[in-house]
Amino acid sequence: MLNRRRFLTHSCSLGVAGATLSSSLLQLGLARSVSAQTEDYRALVCILLAGGNDSYNMLVPRDNDQYEAYRDYRSDLALPKNQLLPLDGSADGGRRYGLHPGMAGLQSLFNGGDAAMLCNVGTLLEPWTGEPDRVPLGLYSHADQIQQWQTSVADQRMAQGWGGRIADILQGPNPANGISMNISLSGSNVFQSGNDTAEYSISAQGNGAPGLNNYDNGTPEGDFRKAMVDGLLAVNQPHILRKEYRQRLQTAVDAQQLFSAALGATPELSTPFSPSYFSQSLRQIARVMSAREALGVSRQTFFVLVGGWDHHDEVLVNQANMLPQISDGLVEFRNAMLELGLHDQVTTFTTSDFGRTLTSNGRGSDHGWGGHHIVMGGAVRGGFYGQYPELDPASPLDTGRGRYAPTTSVDEYFAELALWLGVSPSDLDSVLPNIANFYSPGAASAPMGFLL
Amino acid sequence: MGAMTRPLTLALLLLVCVPLAEAARLKGDEAASRLASRATFGMPYEAILDMADTGERRWLRQQFKTPMSSHDAIVDELVALQNAGLFDELLENNNNLDRVYRRLAWWHTTMTAEDQLRQRVAFALSEIFVVSDNLVVLQDYPYALSNYYDMLLTHAFGNYRDLLLAVTLHPTMGVYLSHLGNARSNPDANTFPDENYAREVMQLFSIGLFELNEDGTEKLDKDGQPIPTYDNTDIEEFAKIFTGLSFAGSNFQIRRNTVNFREPMQMYDAFHEPGKKTLLQGEVVPAGQSGLEDVEQAIDNLFNHPNVGPFFSKLLIQRLVMSNPSPAYVSRVAAAFNGEDTGVRGDMQAVIEAVLLDKEARAEPDKRGQAGKLREPLLRVVAALRQLKVFSPDGFYANTGLIIQENTQQHALSAPSVFNFYLPSHSPVGAIADAGLVAPEFQITNSSTIVTVSNMLEAALIGDVANDLFRAPFTAAEYDLSDFMPLAKKPKKLLKRIDLVMTYGTMSGKTRNHIRSTIGPIDDPDLRVRLALFLAYFSPDYAVEL
Repeated sequence: MLNRRRFLTHSCSLGVAGATLSSSLLQLGLARSVSAQTEDYRALVCILLAGGNDSYNMLVPRDNDQYEAYRDYRSDLALPKNQLLPLDGSADGGRRYGLHPGMAGLQSLFNGGDAAMLCNVGTLLEPWTGEPDRVPLGLYSHADQIQQWQTSVADQRMAQGWGGRIADILQGPNPANGISMNISLSGSNVFQSGNDTAEYSISAQGNGAPGLNNYDNGTPEGDFRKAMVDGLLAVNQPHILRKEYRQRLQTAVDAQQLFSAALGATPELSTPFSPSYFSQSLRQIARVMSAREALGVSRQTFFVLVGGWDHHDEVLVNQANMLPQISDGLVEFRNAMLELGLHDQVTTFTTSDFGRTLTSNGRGSDHGWGGHHIVMGGAVRGGFYGQYPELDPASPLDTGRGRYAPTTSVDEYFAELALWLGVSPSDLDSVLPNIANFYSPGAASAPMGFLL
Repeated sequence: MGAMTRPLTLALLLLVCVPLAEAARLKGDEAASRLASRATFGMPYEAILDMADTGERRWLRQQFKTPMSSHDAIVDELVALQNAGLFDELLENNNNLDRVYRRLAWWHTTMTAEDQLRQRVAFALSEIFVVSDNLVVLQDYPYALSNYYDMLLTHAFGNYRDLLLAVTLHPTMGVYLSHLGNARSNPDANTFPDENYAREVMQLFSIGLFELNEDGTEKLDKDGQPIPTYDNTDIEEFAKIFTGLSFAGSNFQIRRNTVNFREPMQMYDAFHEPGKKTLLQGEVVPAGQSGLEDVEQAIDNLFNHPNVGPFFSKLLIQRLVMSNPSPAYVSRVAAAFNGEDTGVRGDMQAVIEAVLLDKEARAEPDKRGQAGKLREPLLRVVAALRQLKVFSPDGFYANTGLIIQENTQQHALSAPSVFNFYLPSHSPVGAIADAGLVAPEFQITNSSTIVTVSNMLEAALIGDVANDLFRAPFTAAEYDLSDFMPLAKKPKKLLKRIDLVMTYGTMSGKTRNHIRSTIGPIDDPDLRVRLALFLAYFSPDYAVEL
């Protein structure tokens, strides 16, 4: 008979029993994937720099006149010109730019053609004409702007994001094994929520998906626990919130064993990753990609949120600490993609609430609008895209304090990514409802052209 | 058959119509247990019976008079013990002990304090007026967060206007939203006042983004669009108001030896933006006032905005009672906020009473309905510990909550951003969004955390873990299962008691049956009881409170 000590003792014996279980589950997964067209694999990795990265100090003009305009705007926030890391080539009109001095890794990615810089991108209802009424809902507010960067719908509050709508189309409501094509390292998010689908949340630790202690672990106690949990989950819950909770718990329990077995069976990556949260998240993403056959997927999106970018104060010190982590993480991830042979099949891109004011508040910068972004991957055509505005307080794009109105919409940015992932032009407007305001989905040319 | 069906349909229609008139009120022990679930951090069996004897309204009034338990005072004691060398051995392995003093204070007080309602309301306020040790500098000073919490406790039963002013002037908020050390504009250097606090005090702490009706619904313009409450010019004007504040006694200089988290920020007029400013609804702040007069006028300007009643009332209902209050419920609480009966605007006691004693809050729970809310994962754990009378042999319940935070993604004053752990508008895709409902707590309830929370409850109840700091001089806390052990061999009665204490009669019959049949074959009475408790805490019936 069971007693508590025995119950607990057996709790600790997961190691051996777990290994047996993993291999049998893995074989199931492998069997399923034989028919999958994994050569066709493609994935998007969305990085959210939450809080609003001050990207005018990430990508800085190097031409003398524009650097001076930059310095006049930024006063105590200006980076010294001689510290900027030069980027090869030039943007529209032959303008030259440099990166924040902490981003040597990104500099090498860019100059090697593996990364592109997207200039002055942001949320828009339509191309900006200067009409004060035609601005996004809740402009300059974190919650609304993060949401709109994820929904790509700037005139509504919406719970569904464009990654979720992609999954609605490419995957449908019920992935065979309960594991969504949309995988989040940072919990629930709007980007990956669709009408029929939600994200599968994992952590950067271990094999990503924690399991219920000793559930179904091949011992009599494991069987007991399985019966005890399954019976509870079998109870019908008519209340709408209890029903949702029951479903989430059920899905988590069902999917976890397959997922962690698949991840546990992946060969160790030889690419080293830094200990930062960002790098470790990217490492876990690489491992999930490595398990794509066992998971039976050919299309995936990944989401990782890196917080702490709302630098109303200490922007210089904070960015000097934080931007190198982004730069290093990107290089490590690129190396891992090369190791896995997925370099051309994975595109990584940044998002953020907004850019920030070019002017200073004496210690930092405040909420702005348009900002600059990074796209990385083997499919990326290097260089500058969009228009880096000519910095000038008299510019019609300056809506006050150096808050520049975007010259490229997030819709165009994401259309390029969605088409590349495999959304057909005819489905583009259901993924990006406002795309027609910026780009004709059937057009011969790409929305921005940064992907091959 | 056709002839039979029609009267039946009519009868059904009548049945459906009857409850609309007035839902019956939940009464007796079950009503007390539900109030405990909302207005305290959890109550054990006997205390629930006492609350039922006292009656809901009288219990609230008693709580309003119960003296406040200070978190700062606990930190004081811990600092004194450290200075006396009592933690020397502990510190050899952990030189950051002072970073968790405020956490130890929160846990000990939450677990043991008599002023449960005040503590519970302060916790709700901490999720509205958010500061967080996610900003690491706030971990460096042990009083930064305990003193902020004390400020919330102090004003929890006071007036919202004083609360908003105290939040605004608290140095912890000043650091968190960067208006501490915010200086007047300097045209020569092309610098402007920091807009951070100006924005969030409006968006999150007082009026919200859009004009509201008294029932909390958004007003619409002639095109059917919501009407913004402020624009960016208003933000720039309010940013000027919140200049010149810094640590008390610092002369505006921020250095290690000027840090002072135990007094409100002081106004340094030389650094305050001079000149006229314009507030909301055209109110003018004349030139020549002192900086503090400017701040007080601006706080009054916000306090008197018609949005505050419905905006704040709905947030408080969501934190304490249910995710989707009807407009009528919001409107009744907003009326209490507006002082329509008492003549006092912003009276927190009146608002709390209106939230907890409203007829919609007190209606009999509908196990097939939509009312209620997902329990916050942290509160789920705390309630289990309190309901099972966890106690520490030495009288001090020592828990840092770090393990619980790792597993639940939640801890007091540790939100990832000023937007708290979840947005009040979070609407999970699927049936909930389709029904037009919100369920904020689901934002941190995903395939990962739903499992880790369950495992942690198991480690607590089966593994007998009740706190995470038990090295000397602290001790391991213990469960007292005496309310349940006598029923170990009477599964039906055991489940009835569990249902009363945890789910006040809303546990489904099938869940109860399943738990009974699960524990049936187990002989060890201790394991029987613990398994039954664990399964109850694990169940969707408990996770969602109706």
